[in-house]
Amino acid sequence: MITLDGLTKKFSNGKGLFNIDLYVKKGEVYGYLGPNGAGKSTTIRHLMGYIKPTSGSATINSLNCWRNAAEIQKIVGYLPGEIGFLEGLNGLEFLKLLSGMKNMKSTKVRDALIERFQFDVNTPIRKMSKGMKQKVGIVAAFMNDPEVLILDEPTSGLDPLMQRVFIDLILEEKSRGKTILMSSHQFQEIERTCDRVAIIKDGSIIAQENVHELQKKQKKVFEVTVADEKDIQELKNSGLSISNISGKQVLIEVAGDYNHFLRAIANVNVVALNTRNLELEELFMHFYERKEVM
Amino acid sequence: MSMPLFKAMFKIHGKNIFSYAFGAVMYQWLIIWIYPSIAKSSGMNDLLKSMPASIQRAFGLQSGFEKIGGFLAGEFYGLLFVLILIIFTVMISIQLISRLIDNTSMAYLLSTPVSRSKIVITQISMLLFGLFVICGFTAVGGLMGISFLIKNPIIDEQAFIQLNLIGFLLFMVVGGYSFLISCSMNDEKKAVGLATGLTVVFFALNLVSKLSEKLSWMKNITIFSLFNPQEIMKGNVAILPISMGLFLSAVLLFGISIVVFKNRDLPL
Repeated sequence: MITLDGLTKKFSNGKGLFNIDLYVKKGEVYGYLGPNGAGKSTTIRHLMGYIKPTSGSATINSLNCWRNAAEIQKIVGYLPGEIGFLEGLNGLEFLKLLSGMKNMKSTKVRDALIERFQFDVNTPIRKMSKGMKQKVGIVAAFMNDPEVLILDEPTSGLDPLMQRVFIDLILEEKSRGKTILMSSHQFQEIERTCDRVAIIKDGSIIAQENVHELQKKQKKVFEVTVADEKDIQELKNSGLSISNISGKQVLIEVAGDYNHFLRAIANVNVVALNTRNLELEELFMHFYERKEVM
Repeated sequence: MSMPLFKAMFKIHGKNIFSYAFGAVMYQWLIIWIYPSIAKSSGMNDLLKSMPASIQRAFGLQSGFEKIGGFLAGEFYGLLFVLILIIFTVMISIQLISRLIDNTSMAYLLSTPVSRSKIVITQISMLLFGLFVICGFTAVGGLMGISFLIKNPIIDEQAFIQLNLIGFLLFMVVGGYSFLISCSMNDEKKAVGLATGLTVVFFALNLVSKLSEKLSWMKNITIFSLFNPQEIMKGNVAILPISMGLFLSAVLLFGISIVVFKNRDLPL
């Protein structure tokens, strides 16, 4: 559905995108991760037809994103990373403008979204908080029920509750067969929603991974705090992979075999038990660091 | 042309347009209202005649104040009309495109199936609509003011309409290059600076070219020399070629604006 084929953009300052290849299947949710300035938004601008590639191409539904920019918008919903609205309108007037330009007949989806994100659409745009503007942007992107959604850092500015509402919305759209590309530096929302993920740094994709595979392969790290030295000795003898011991806290890495882990800790006096919920993040740190060394 | 966009733009700029239009007409009426007292005092005409010819030419005072049309051409169209429209035209041209690029709201407009060309054409229509309203107001308002406020006025109505028409066409050209600047630049402030600077230079060249014979060649490098209110009122100007020239230049500039905007990278 979305294809980037050797997409290259060279800016005069030497930055840009270098030979990006990426393919998002129909019905897939694709995460696009990277630190600030890595080229996430630049990639998305190509998909929206705002900038022309130096070489290579971006296509959506087999239409060239630069040459057929207007045509593509019929099936695309877009949430920009930067939120700037027309001054002098309120939220509803702005949404009406966009629904008019999108030739929308019904306001049902729009009204349901407004209800869902709970904000006052009649607020003048210049009086809106960042989170509120983000909500208006989300409604604008989803309101014409587009087949393809391109979301640039969609949860920035939203409070945790609304981030949840948003993730639910993404999962719903996914179950309805939508193709979604979203950029983020929030690992959690990517992990919860995406099928695959690409990691970009300095204008190049340094990894593409299947999130489900990744989760299966990923080691979990448990922080087990025990009562005394004897317990630590017992854990050491149990055959578990222990990565670190500090005082009475033992870090145990578990890959798949949870029963073994449970049996072993059942034999000791456990005072506290925590999991570290950083799997993807740790993986990405690993990628970033490796790149840094190179 | 996109109607929903035009309506939204009207919502944003409409108030401004009508303020300029009403403001211009009010000022016009004020001048019409004081005309009888000035026309009666022969001292004023003598004072004008005593000024150096170059100053009279530069500020459009050479025909004296014997006719209301000439008075209005000199006192309103010679300076204030031009200043009001310079401010309006430059500001709205920049706000219609460059501001939307600068504050990235253009991203939303372009995320709809309305093409870039259609968006620019809509914005150009808004600019032309604004100019038309202001010049229409001054044309109709001026004639109304004269017939209400002056007893037995002697006025060449056709020339007065032509005066407003040439004013409209002149500012179509000013709007044309301001729009081109607006379409080419990312930074709103720089765009305002460039468009204002260029216009001020054109305006000053016209003023200076009239002050001295030696500098009169300067009238060839400014468009403002084509707008000569007093001469138009006297019927000494060939309206058709000037109108056509201004109109075609404006169309060309708007055409280039569309092409530039269509083919450029937008930092949205």
